[in-house]
Amino acid sequence: MGWQGIFESSGILFTGLVNTLLLSVASIATGTTLGLIVALLRTARIRGLGLPLRLYLEIFRGSPLLVQMLFIYFGAAYLGIRGVDTFMAALTALTLYEGALISEIFRAGIEAVPRGQREAARSLGLSRYQIERYVILPQTVPIVLAPLVGQYIGLVKDTALATAIGYFELVREGQAIIDRIGMPIETFIVIAGIYFMICYPMSLAARRLETRALHA
Amino acid sequence: MLAPWTTLLGYSPALLNGLWLTASMSVLAFAFAFALGVAGALGRRSRIAPLRWAGATYVETIRNTPVLLQLFMIYFALPEFGIRLGAFEAGAAALAINAGAYLTEIIRAGLQAVPRGQLEAARSIGLGPGDTFRSVVFPQALRYVYPPVVSQFIQVILGSSLVSQIALKEITNAAQTINSQTLLTMHVFAIALVLYLLLSNVTAVLADVVGRNAFKPPLVPRRKGGAPSMRDQLLAMVRGG
Repeated sequence: MGWQGIFESSGILFTGLVNTLLLSVASIATGTTLGLIVALLRTARIRGLGLPLRLYLEIFRGSPLLVQMLFIYFGAAYLGIRGVDTFMAALTALTLYEGALISEIFRAGIEAVPRGQREAARSLGLSRYQIERYVILPQTVPIVLAPLVGQYIGLVKDTALATAIGYFELVREGQAIIDRIGMPIETFIVIAGIYFMICYPMSLAARRLETRALHA
Repeated sequence: MLAPWTTLLGYSPALLNGLWLTASMSVLAFAFAFALGVAGALGRRSRIAPLRWAGATYVETIRNTPVLLQLFMIYFALPEFGIRLGAFEAGAAALAINAGAYLTEIIRAGLQAVPRGQLEAARSIGLGPGDTFRSVVFPQALRYVYPPVVSQFIQVILGSSLVSQIALKEITNAAQTINSQTLLTMHVFAIALVLYLLLSNVTAVLADVVGRNAFKPPLVPRRKGGAPSMRDQLLAMVRGG
């Protein structure tokens, strides 16, 4: 076995790792923001918004992320939208897909807060914004934290799909190494190890948050 | 206006073939995944420590690495050991191994939820451990795990799109090929999207019908007010409600 070749390719792997982390962190930020907004809009029961939001959820949760990503990447080129490179297309797809899943986590959290809390806040004269910001959302934190971290694990792994549109993240850099030096087993094991080192601590954190939420 | 669609009509054999490959690979993968899930759950609950470790290692390594990587390992790396699988077999194997890890945890939780008294009662009326599991514990666990198992099946269907990356001509791969031949990007991917939405929703509705009829007493999905979901509306349509 020639681990030497992989060691010599560590620069390429490092670039891949940086790109994977970049896409992950950016998608976590945008996906969580979108998910929170969608959850707030859905729980507020705003007239005329219910159907479009549900349609959004059904479409993005009922179809594969890979198809969404290809659709956005090739679709942007087809429509002549400039500035949609592989990173932007992957980020957009991940945001819309993970945002749909994350909004359901937030919604469950918001709905778990007893109605009385909202009524009490309103009777104190708090504004709608103040009610959500200072009364409801703080109480959802212990409920949503564990599933949120669980979702982020899925998101980090899902960034691997960006390899299909040519974004140079870990899996694609791995394939580049294999094209050059062969050794698919060793290369894939190293890459799997890198993902594991990112995701396993997150899994442990999610488990700890879950037991803490149960005992709270 | 209609020209793109009539062009694409000529590609319907490729799309239908893709639909068939996606559906058949998903069903096959899920059957193996379920068996793996039961075996994994039994392993994780076993009294024998090495079996517990094996189960835990399986679950943790699979759940903390991307499916795409698992697929590439099976398809590109296994041949180095002389195990050469076709794209269909490799895809089904990767999906089965991946979903099996999630099903292990789901089924384990289901087995854990069966009250201990059930097991003790079954043993005290003289059932052996095998019979106790088969006819008392497992059927009850199945009730608890049915909804998450169904959503895992839908995840397998959606995840099967990744097998397009090892050139199996399922829905996504067919769409990519047709796109490069016709350049009708929006139309082609819209069709692919609708095919997946159809597959996932039809599966969900069928699973609901099965869930309401195969169990005694029937499974009734929990609802906490709010508008009925699209799935429920579809179900009402199917049942003529």
